[in-house]
Amino acid sequence: MKKRTQKGNFHQILAPILFLLPNLLIFGLFIIIPAFQGLRLSFMKWGVFTPKQFVGLDNFKNLLSDEVFWITFKNTIVYSISTVICLLISSLVLALLLSRNKIKGEKAFRATFYIPALISLIAVGIAWRFILGDEMGIINYVLREMNFNPVSWLTNGTMAMLSVIIVTVWAQSGYYMIMFIAGLQAIPIELYEAAKIDGASAFASFKRITIPMLKSTILVVLVLATIQSFKAYELIVTMTKGGPGYATKFVVQQVYQVAFIEDRFGYASSMSMVLMIVIAIFTLIQFKATGKEESYE
Amino acid sequence: MNNKQSKFLVIQHIIVFLLAIFCLFPVIWVLLSSFKPQSELFKIPMTFFPKNWSFSNYVAALSYGSFTRYFSNTLFVAVVATVITVLINIMSGYALAKYIFPGRNLIFTIMIGTLMIPLQVIMIPIFLQLKRFGMLNSLWGIIIPPAATPTGIFLARQYMVNLPNSMIESARIDGAKEFFIFTNIIIPLSKPIIATIAIFSFMWRWNDYLWPLIVITDNDKQTLQQALANFVGQLQINWSSLLAMTTISIIPVIVVFLIFQKYFMSGITTGAVKG
Amino acid sequence: MKKLMLIMVSILLCSTVVFASGATEGEEDKDVTLSVMWFNDANESDVFLDTIDEYLKANENVKVDMQVVSFSEYEQKLKLMISGGNPPDIARVTNNHLSSLGSSLEPINNYVDDISAVEDMFMPGSIAFAKDGDNLLAYPTEATANGMLVNLTAWENAGIDVKKLSKTWTWEQWEEAVKEVIKANDGMKYGLALDFSPHRYSTILFEFGGRQMNLDQSEVEFTNEGTINSINWFKRLHDEGLIPSSVWLGSENPAELFQAGLVACHIGGSWNINTYNTNVKDFEWCAVNTPKEEIRSSVPGGKFIASFKDSENKEEAMKLMAAFSSKESNEKYCADTFNLSARVDTDVPYISNKEDFTVFSEDLKVTPAFTALEWKASSLNKVYSYIREQIVQVLMGNISAEEATMNIDKEAAKF
Repeated sequence: MKKRTQKGNFHQILAPILFLLPNLLIFGLFIIIPAFQGLRLSFMKWGVFTPKQFVGLDNFKNLLSDEVFWITFKNTIVYSISTVICLLISSLVLALLLSRNKIKGEKAFRATFYIPALISLIAVGIAWRFILGDEMGIINYVLREMNFNPVSWLTNGTMAMLSVIIVTVWAQSGYYMIMFIAGLQAIPIELYEAAKIDGASAFASFKRITIPMLKSTILVVLVLATIQSFKAYELIVTMTKGGPGYATKFVVQQVYQVAFIEDRFGYASSMSMVLMIVIAIFTLIQFKATGKEESYE
Repeated sequence: MNNKQSKFLVIQHIIVFLLAIFCLFPVIWVLLSSFKPQSELFKIPMTFFPKNWSFSNYVAALSYGSFTRYFSNTLFVAVVATVITVLINIMSGYALAKYIFPGRNLIFTIMIGTLMIPLQVIMIPIFLQLKRFGMLNSLWGIIIPPAATPTGIFLARQYMVNLPNSMIESARIDGAKEFFIFTNIIIPLSKPIIATIAIFSFMWRWNDYLWPLIVITDNDKQTLQQALANFVGQLQINWSSLLAMTTISIIPVIVVFLIFQKYFMSGITTGAVKG
Repeated sequence: MKKLMLIMVSILLCSTVVFASGATEGEEDKDVTLSVMWFNDANESDVFLDTIDEYLKANENVKVDMQVVSFSEYEQKLKLMISGGNPPDIARVTNNHLSSLGSSLEPINNYVDDISAVEDMFMPGSIAFAKDGDNLLAYPTEATANGMLVNLTAWENAGIDVKKLSKTWTWEQWEEAVKEVIKANDGMKYGLALDFSPHRYSTILFEFGGRQMNLDQSEVEFTNEGTINSINWFKRLHDEGLIPSSVWLGSENPAELFQAGLVACHIGGSWNINTYNTNVKDFEWCAVNTPKEEIRSSVPGGKFIASFKDSENKEEAMKLMAAFSSKESNEKYCADTFNLSARVDTDVPYISNKEDFTVFSEDLKVTPAFTALEWKASSLNKVYSYIREQIVQVLMGNISAEEATMNIDKEAAKF
């Protein structure tokens, strides 16, 4: 399929390099060089008030026996997997409901569902903490008024994790919904009509047409949602501060605390190296699972 | 069959409607609460609508620091950064989608890989780098470094891979220059993805908190999100001003979204038909 | 699409114009512009600017550029600036910051003739935080004290004269009395709310005879009888529902629970007087002495202003800080921000709640000196978050109090 007539043409090597140049420059200077410095730091004992000292693999050895790190690690994985799955389902369902003019006022509804994605995560965290408070939150207040038992949204470890996941899904579904709508619109309507004539059920055509045709969109959503979830910071800090106890504390928060409060930047760097490797593995799996074949026209 | 279908449609309407309520409720609750004085915010029995609509929270929030300056800084950063981001991301996405050259996959992988680095961790090296280039304490320091977004490149590439090669090739046979092909064929075909990246970028820049925090040390150059976070103190939270400021900070993005959504949504549709 | 571009470009132009026109305002002449870093609990940044206004008028060559940063990122921001070699000229710092940033602060000693005269102007507790060996690293501005605030109306409904009782009460008597209060009031659900902070928690820890460090404050030593007793007591009150779990387990703000009339007592700090003064409309409240166990104790804390070794304009910064710390300035600042003054010779003209401030300072006076010395130690401040997390682990029933204290000691030994 991949037919290129003028392969090796000088312009066709130079042009892409020029197109990429601004991006590469910025990446190199502001992300990649600092990242390598971060990598170097992970083999050092270093802080703003602690002189640099090479310690080899000590930081990584200490990580192995660091209980809190592994708790936050486990939490991160649980949070990430659950939010990614929930986001994938919720945004796909919203997109299916809101495409092809089935619903009256489709555009208004799309805008409505996109609104949470417009709000900064700091504001989202603040708002939900305000709503889910045990004593002073509106939800529990209404439950009490109606003589139901109040729910410990944020004071019970499991519930707190669940709340954080729900709020993440609330805040980001609209964003991925837009991507799915775009993907759905790209599927030629004739395919469905043909399937209908063949007597295929709605579910069958969903399975045989929609899902395969959405493969590349699904990949985009999976990758972006996964990476987002591993980096969740602002929302957690404003909503639960990682609590109760360690219940919603993730690696990024722990990295922040170790680096800036405990002044152990070297150790914090080694934690984030581990985190990065895990994200890389997850992303790789997703690429493999959805198949990297892309239709080149 | 018809009856069953229409029943199904009614159910779908109900589901969408309920979801919309769930979606909007927190926003409305914050909006209503922002009109309550702090003495009413934490009072039992609670009130849904403010008992006395009070605008004092807004007066307090707007008179905090130099609000107009924060607002114009944020607007400047969001707009300029969006223009730059769209341009360089589309260029990169095109290069990665439609050219074959040595190191293409490596570059793409590295670019996506940078998404995985948590900013918190490399903050000090980044800070030192910004200092070296004299970008500290300047709005350009907020604008330039995060302009190369891996997400934008990823989306642009995914979109452009599906554009027909035949048009590019026939233009080449006609002797068109590479840059001409980009501006006159690719850009017009990429409107939907341009609108998409633009909206994403604008939202993200408007709401960004960490970059300005690293870069800016002057009150005159602060952005709205920083001002927002300042209402949370060491010992107490200024809820009434916080809620008012939150509302104010949300309004512009919603306005921009409503203006651009026509392009955004319809752009996606037309693009899809062509693609 | 053209329209879209047009809109984008015009917004761009507009904002450039706004931006450019604004940027010319701060014209450069040979003045000194002092960069000031600040964080706010309430209105402190405004009051600070207000207070130094006269000094700035008298010294026309001095200007001030203040950046307010949210408290949660304040330390990070300062550390970034210090590591980059360009710290601000003046920064507002807490007693915790003094222990973590101490080595980068410029001692005041080199800028005043008689340092001991300066030290004598402030409360010994505040000076203890600011001293590093012989060096005085910062000027104290306001002092804070932990203490108890009660819902007076609720106590009166139960027929208890809390003002009288609190003069001598123990925690046992408190518990008995507060149960009456909960019974006598319909909406009242809890006896006590305590801020989600190890610093506030240490009020109880010290009262139970506990210590966080060894006797010469060289090492963190949580494992001792008093500390363990205090944690067990704290857990029991949670289990019995006398303390709302939404604070330590769910980060709800105790001040809000108190304001809503849900708790009878709140162990917070002197800064709460200001909040309650403006926000509590439905009932009477007042400050009372904290109940006693082994001892009666408050916990001192405070805010300071300091300059850095690498600051550009140290000379001018020191002059301004000295002026801001004068008796008149400090009185004005503390009155307008509703804080306890860190100076010994001030008579702060609070517009209200004078009595409540007196109660807090009474508690502060009987507080032993080691409380300040412990909170000054940097080793303790490094495990600050860890302490909080471990106490929560106990409250959740995951570990015992003994395990928690041993964990804390072990973690602190790593540094």
